[in-house]
Amino acid sequence: MNTEDRILEPGRIEAPFGEIRFLSLAGRDLFTRRADRFRFLSPGHPLGKYLDFLALLADAQQEAQDRFPSLPPPDARELALCREHGMPLLDTRSRLRNPAWRTALTLILRRMSEADLPKAARKTAAGLMSVDENRLEEMADGILSGDPAATPPKELPFIAAALQVYWVRMASMVGEDAFAKLEPAGVCPVCGSFPATGIVHANGTEKGLRYLCCSLCASRWHMVRVKCSNCEATQGISYYSLEGSNGAVKAESCDDCNTYLKLLYLGKDDAMEAMADDLATLSLDMLMDKAGKARSGPNLFFHPGCEAKQA
Amino acid sequence: MLGFSSVDALAEVREFKLARSSETRNTCPYCSVSCGLIMHSLGDRAKNAEPAIFHIEGDPDHPVNRGTLCPKGAGLVDFIHSESRLKYPEYRAPGSNEWKRISWDEAFTRVARLMKDDRDKNFVAKNTAGVTVNRWLTTGFLAASASSNESGYITQKAIRSLGILAFDNQARV
Repeated sequence: MNTEDRILEPGRIEAPFGEIRFLSLAGRDLFTRRADRFRFLSPGHPLGKYLDFLALLADAQQEAQDRFPSLPPPDARELALCREHGMPLLDTRSRLRNPAWRTALTLILRRMSEADLPKAARKTAAGLMSVDENRLEEMADGILSGDPAATPPKELPFIAAALQVYWVRMASMVGEDAFAKLEPAGVCPVCGSFPATGIVHANGTEKGLRYLCCSLCASRWHMVRVKCSNCEATQGISYYSLEGSNGAVKAESCDDCNTYLKLLYLGKDDAMEAMADDLATLSLDMLMDKAGKARSGPNLFFHPGCEAKQA
Repeated sequence: MLGFSSVDALAEVREFKLARSSETRNTCPYCSVSCGLIMHSLGDRAKNAEPAIFHIEGDPDHPVNRGTLCPKGAGLVDFIHSESRLKYPEYRAPGSNEWKRISWDEAFTRVARLMKDDRDKNFVAKNTAGVTVNRWLTTGFLAASASSNESGYITQKAIRSLGILAFDNQARV
């Protein structure tokens, strides 16, 4: 029997909305919740120390988000143009970044250089504070071009953290209603980035629906289940989990494009968080890699070039 | 590089193996509402292993049921693994209380034979006024409602061309 399906009492069945909700933006407390989850996952975890570091980084991100200066809203004509041509309104590649993202970086670095970190990490944070603007923009371009490997592994988490804060802020400023569905459906309708993971909801009107989670702005957009989020194939889709696990995290893999993306089934564990649980299940990535499958979306806190040696 | 080691993670991964499963869309066989399903099965079809269905949920993306299932649909996984599930044709002779397994060939031949005999005996080509009607009123046909448009079309063509008027698609066959 289905142990995860609750039996609903009469009158408690929620009627589905007319349309499936297609987008939800990150909440204001995203980074706090992420930090809590990193802290929950870290004890006894083989990557525990790194998860602790990321918990501190997420705290710093929350602080940076709360203290982020207000920005001028994007130009209405530009938004209309994006909408007309089916482009993401806050596209990472076509839109000029407001240098304010570096304010977020400064806030994060200041907090991190005071935190209790391994010496190498603290040194990197301190070193980044004096890196010149052009070099910072260059590293940001590397990350946003969809190739996190272009940024040195030491600097990647800090730069990525600041960019996340900036894009989360921009998205919430533009507001959920401004965004529309895009083709292809596998990129974020807010910023055009690839998803880091997918989440299968467990409750309410969204029960069982799959939402892809943006690796940059943490927006979640709906995509039909049992369909490759990378090439949209519906045949040859398989699910891999660690043998003996409860199946809360599965890699949805596609025979057509030979990639996979992890899905978090909240029905098995509703405390999971897209970014944190993705990193905490690195063993699944390593086994998928060994099986010859490539990840279709990045996790910006995981440098693809140094996976086998050091995280 | 930031001072974090992944030696433990590498050691851990050696202890694990991958388990493969699939999710397959289907339609609930019970009634004419035709709710969408997602069936979860273990096993790898390519390796001649018998796929074993271990979980069935309502398809959340399906426009008809949006992931919901009625109590019968929610119990489908037990229906699949039921010991008394009908898997082959069986015949119970008139007056007997015993079911006997027969082959598909025997079943088809017997059904066709009985249909033909009845049709030959009772077919009405013309009514009393001499108008051509081509009716066969002594046999009726009940088809399943969860079939596809295509099989519905073929059933309609086959049955109507025999002259059968009593024809319905019913939910619980």
